[in-house]
Amino acid sequence: MILTGPEIEYSLKWGEITIEPFNKEQINPNSYNFCLLPTILQVTLNENNESTYETIELKEEGYVLMPHILYLAATREIIGTNNYAMTLLGKSSLGRLGLFLNATADLGHFGSVSQWTLELSVVQPLRIYPHMEIGQIAFWTQQGHYKGYQGKYLKDLGPKPSKEDFTNYDSNR
Amino acid sequence: MILTGEQIEKSVTNGEIIIEPFDKNQLGPNSYDFKLGDKCLIYKNAELDSAKDNEVIEMPIPADGLLLDPSKIYLINTFETMGSNTFVPIIRGRSSIGRLGIFIDITADLIDLGSINRWTLQLHSVMPVKVYKGMLIGQVTFWAAKGEKVFYNGKYKNHESPVKSFSHKDFKNISQ
Repeated sequence: MILTGPEIEYSLKWGEITIEPFNKEQINPNSYNFCLLPTILQVTLNENNESTYETIELKEEGYVLMPHILYLAATREIIGTNNYAMTLLGKSSLGRLGLFLNATADLGHFGSVSQWTLELSVVQPLRIYPHMEIGQIAFWTQQGHYKGYQGKYLKDLGPKPSKEDFTNYDSNR
Repeated sequence: MILTGEQIEKSVTNGEIIIEPFDKNQLGPNSYDFKLGDKCLIYKNAELDSAKDNEVIEMPIPADGLLLDPSKIYLINTFETMGSNTFVPIIRGRSSIGRLGIFIDITADLIDLGSINRWTLQLHSVMPVKVYKGMLIGQVTFWAAKGEKVFYNGKYKNHESPVKSFSHKDFKNISQ
């Protein structure tokens, strides 16, 4: 089951969900709006086909995201829970402006408490601003035993590049 | 929990879910297929600003189809009026539509409880492709909710035509 807005607030009071800082006005009927951390990474490939990351600090006048470029951003809030599954999604107001919040990787790492990394891309050039409400998170009850997330993005702060290690990758396996 | 097609039909009958018009043939095992509406908006300028009111142009969807340009966003309403005060709707494209590289929403698939109207789809295609009014374009699933319910009372309430972004209205709320 998906938690309603009042249930998210209730779970927060009981310590079952962490959202830090929390602002009651950002609660929706069945999700919570989170804000954008002002540091984003622009991903480019160098001449050796390796990903490189250029840090961009968003200023008050905003920054124009360009199509065909991937930007890694992060939530301003530290968000997590050991009690519910989480899905991240964009806001309809920004979807209407062509902003993708993630690249079909919307299921949160259950058990991690972190500033979530967002995979931003746009259809048309779009100016965004530091601290703006950028997306939403929904919480879901689960069925079955769980041990929580112990993976490589457990306590991330700020946008984090992919940590997938392909150095020993066997393409024949 | 996700509702089965049979439960969606029961909930439409008892009024917990609104799908208008409703056609039993559009039910799937755990979703309902909805149609593309007939009104379309595109933005006048190529560059958009999330803090400003971006001007839109209304364009007709020709009888012989609308060719989607991958560099643009198309706001088109659903043909059906849909929503629920009981179950949370989530929308997605039909697999046949995804196989053509058409996105029907731009990472905004979750509908608020109480948002009952024709929804605005955010169409975008990976390659140029034609769409037609009235075609089966997406599916809606319904999910049980836990907790006290409050209903959507936001800036897109009760619209029957596609609505452009009102993102700029959120900017008064930013606390830095």
